[in-house]
Amino acid sequence: MKSLLFAECFKLFRQSKTYYAVASLLIIEGIILISAYFEGTNIINILLDNLRKTFYLKGNLLNGNLLQYLVLNTLWFHLPLIIMIVVSGMLTAEYKDKTVQTIFLQPVRKWKWILSKYIIAVGFTAFIVGLLFITSYWLCNVFFGKGDLVVYLDGLSFFSAKDASNRIQWAFLAGTISMVFFAVSSLTIAVILKDVTKTWIVCALFLIICNVLLKIDLGTDWLNQFSFFKLNDTWQYFFQYDIPYSRIWLNWLISLFYIITIASVGIIIFQKRDIG
Amino acid sequence: MRNFFLSFWLLISSSNIFSQGVDESLIKMRQRIDSVNSFQVNLQLETDISFVNMPVKRAVMQWEKGKPVQFTSKDFILLPKKGLDFSLSSLFEYPFVTLVRGITTQQGQTIKEMNVIPADRRADFSIATLWINTSLRRVESAEISTNKDGIYFLQMHYRLPTDFFPDRVEVKFEIEKIKIPLNFMGKGTRVDKEKMKADGMKSGKIFLNMSDYIIRKIGG
Repeated sequence: MKSLLFAECFKLFRQSKTYYAVASLLIIEGIILISAYFEGTNIINILLDNLRKTFYLKGNLLNGNLLQYLVLNTLWFHLPLIIMIVVSGMLTAEYKDKTVQTIFLQPVRKWKWILSKYIIAVGFTAFIVGLLFITSYWLCNVFFGKGDLVVYLDGLSFFSAKDASNRIQWAFLAGTISMVFFAVSSLTIAVILKDVTKTWIVCALFLIICNVLLKIDLGTDWLNQFSFFKLNDTWQYFFQYDIPYSRIWLNWLISLFYIITIASVGIIIFQKRDIG
Repeated sequence: MRNFFLSFWLLISSSNIFSQGVDESLIKMRQRIDSVNSFQVNLQLETDISFVNMPVKRAVMQWEKGKPVQFTSKDFILLPKKGLDFSLSSLFEYPFVTLVRGITTQQGQTIKEMNVIPADRRADFSIATLWINTSLRRVESAEISTNKDGIYFLQMHYRLPTDFFPDRVEVKFEIEKIKIPLNFMGKGTRVDKEKMKADGMKSGKIFLNMSDYIIRKIGG
């Protein structure tokens, strides 16, 4: 298993498309950061418009924490798209190049081989989110400095710089779990469809549907709590003034259930299906 | 004939108002405050507004006679437009008249309620009501109707009877609530502010706790 993991890791970082993906994510991050900086002043003006009538406001709210929060807001659509392309490509490329047939000429267990792909997909996703966290943290704090964060979630919430920084870190962790869900889903879609283009189209469709359904109220608390597309907003809970930890833990457990189920479905299908 | 008597009565009553000039209690209170040249105090701000969540903030406030109040803080702070000027000097910046509304006794202290009416258009308030403790020569509470920023109600709390300045001030005000879509931030959503203001006015409070006053008196 260890050698399989090493081989998958080697293949992933050997292929040029992984670096294209990383570079494109960093470019997207840079663009989001620049637009957030220019949009930030306008956002603060709208948020604080009515407070200005009653209060003098002292201090800088257009700081690294606000920009990192704005990056978080816009990142969760672009990031899974690119992760899904790279992760599904880990399998579809093997089908396309017919290397999958070569591999199974050797004594390799099918379930172990596909499981190693799932594990590397999870690791790669965590690595990408971690990289984005470090780069955004560095860029935002070095260029724009630390300061209090203002967020609008059913009211205006102000967080001290340290508290905001902690919440952003937890939000990235929550985002990682959502991204792992998409990565695992894309690999299972690749197992089912095999074809590169078809997999990409279905992955994009899956992501769009998840994003659209995220904003729809399903009418009952039960559906809103347990629907997988609703879980992708868990990171926002860290910006409620009183963090609902029990709700977050429950969401994470449900997400973990979905991730394991989807990966298991992929492994079972791959195990049962003939190579070719 | 009826209109003549009404006009005559209005003329008489208005001349009564202006003939009062400035009440003696207010002059004594101002004389007491005028003996202070400057002060510095540590400030702790607690916000109580239904749609604003804010942790307790700290700042240092410095006041010097004839100069605007200065604040220094590492945090982002909301400072009420009225209520931090304990000397109430902004009320007395331009000529004004006072009208005594009544005298009551509270906990053995004589409290005089009076209106301060600006006699100059440059004043930023239309009317203020002060409740002055005549024996201790200090303001217990005040209601200020500003021209642009709504109405503020200030309740002062003092630690000692001899204290010049309060150690706790409660500032009550009215504030407009704005609803902003959940996905607004970072999504570039256009906001119809007028539509969102339909929720109307909300009242809010801010509590100012002062500690470690450093007061410099004239000639001190």
